[in-house]
Amino acid sequence: MPKIITYLIVVIFACQSNAQISDFGAINFKKADSIALACKTDDASNLPYLSHKLTSNLTTDVEQFRAIYMWVCGNIENDYSLYLKNSRKRQKFQNDSAKLNDWNTRFNKVLFRKLLKHEKTICTGYAYLVKELSRLANINCEIVHGFGRTSTINIDRLNNPNHSWNAVQLNDKWYLCDPTWASGIPNPKTFQFKFQYNDGFFLADPQLFAVNHHPIDEKWFLLEEHQRPTFNEFIEAPVIYGKAYKNLSTHSAPKKMHNIITRNEKVIFKYQLLKPISTDQVSLKIDNGFRDRKTKPTSTVIKGKSLTLEYRFEETGFYDVHLLIGDDLISTYTFKVKG
Amino acid sequence: MKTQLTITKREFGFNRAKKNDLTTNSLPKKLMITGLKRTLILISIFFMGALVSNNLYAQAGASASKETTVKGMVSDDSGPILGANITLKGTKVGTSTDKDGAFIFPKALTPGDILVFSYLGYETQEVKIEENTTFINLVLTTDLIEIMGAVNADTPYKSKR
Repeated sequence: MPKIITYLIVVIFACQSNAQISDFGAINFKKADSIALACKTDDASNLPYLSHKLTSNLTTDVEQFRAIYMWVCGNIENDYSLYLKNSRKRQKFQNDSAKLNDWNTRFNKVLFRKLLKHEKTICTGYAYLVKELSRLANINCEIVHGFGRTSTINIDRLNNPNHSWNAVQLNDKWYLCDPTWASGIPNPKTFQFKFQYNDGFFLADPQLFAVNHHPIDEKWFLLEEHQRPTFNEFIEAPVIYGKAYKNLSTHSAPKKMHNIITRNEKVIFKYQLLKPISTDQVSLKIDNGFRDRKTKPTSTVIKGKSLTLEYRFEETGFYDVHLLIGDDLISTYTFKVKG
Repeated sequence: MKTQLTITKREFGFNRAKKNDLTTNSLPKKLMITGLKRTLILISIFFMGALVSNNLYAQAGASASKETTVKGMVSDDSGPILGANITLKGTKVGTSTDKDGAFIFPKALTPGDILVFSYLGYETQEVKIEENTTFINLVLTTDLIEIMGAVNADTPYKSKR
């Protein structure tokens, strides 16, 4: 029994620290979060007033930024149909910069009207609000444009930037966050947006961030040059999910989404964890095209915060392999196993 | 050292009181003086208050004090903007423009105050109040941003076979 309690305490404490967020270990965001919640009835029509209301009772930049970020994540809806409309047009005009500019100008008006009247937007609207509210509170914040990758994005058509997020400077250090993906998930069938806050995208680890965020301007990787993935590496990388940000700080191996191996070859999976976990929480879900089954890796080794898995495919075939930590879906790979 | 100093002060006060005592019946007089002082202070506070509040209604450019009422107009390249926000920097005090783009700032401003003009989709602009600022005519420029958006998904990836 005492063991369980210690374990629970460890888990509870570990849950609070999130990669880069650990720079601010001493700060409790309860106050910032409750201020953001208290401003729920406010809208985006008066940004200077809103920014002041959100930040004036908080002393540190990180808390002020937190309140702004939480307000945006909790109050702005992702408009899926607006997103579809824009991406169709951008795809259509991708080789005609005059028409693309023309569309963008017109769409700017639509976007801001929607944001004002319905509190609905798409990524750039989120990033824009976070930036504007931060600037009004004298916090240096930028919009970062680039490529974002999720399980439903067709990478063969990912030839234009499709996503925007934020970089913020706190205590002279730059951090990354993605308010769009943190706020929730729209249902692609019903278009209904569901608020479902994911704290993993707040001051996320740049290494994990680079797996599914590829900025146009390379400085926004916030990584040393040798650590920055090339665009090809980004396209070939595995799919990681929102829950990965709750569990991992780095994704190290396999480097590629699609892998070709031989039967009984040892496949190695490597990660850095945000918090210590136990080996029995780790499982693989393997889909051979007919059915999927949940299985344990051949070996699971956890040393501190580093997690290493091994798996051997005993039969030839084509497999989708999903990594799960507890019930959290972390990442997906495919393996073509030859004889 | 400190204690010594206090002692001397006390002694001095004592001596003075003694002197006064010798000349006249000083106690009521002293009370009278403090009473007078208090009323004087109160009166001056009242006048200061009156001056300040008066200024709120005073015409812009009242030279007695440096506080002025600021009016203005906000527009973009296609005409007046309805609902643009004007806020005194660092405070919640503010107003917004009417259908003609016009506004009267609700608080008298002093030189050095900064007004923040903002409207969603336009570049936020700051205007510093100068000695002679009474009317601000501001043209906001659209904050053109490259718009894109990828939505997040938690549906597991499935290979097309």
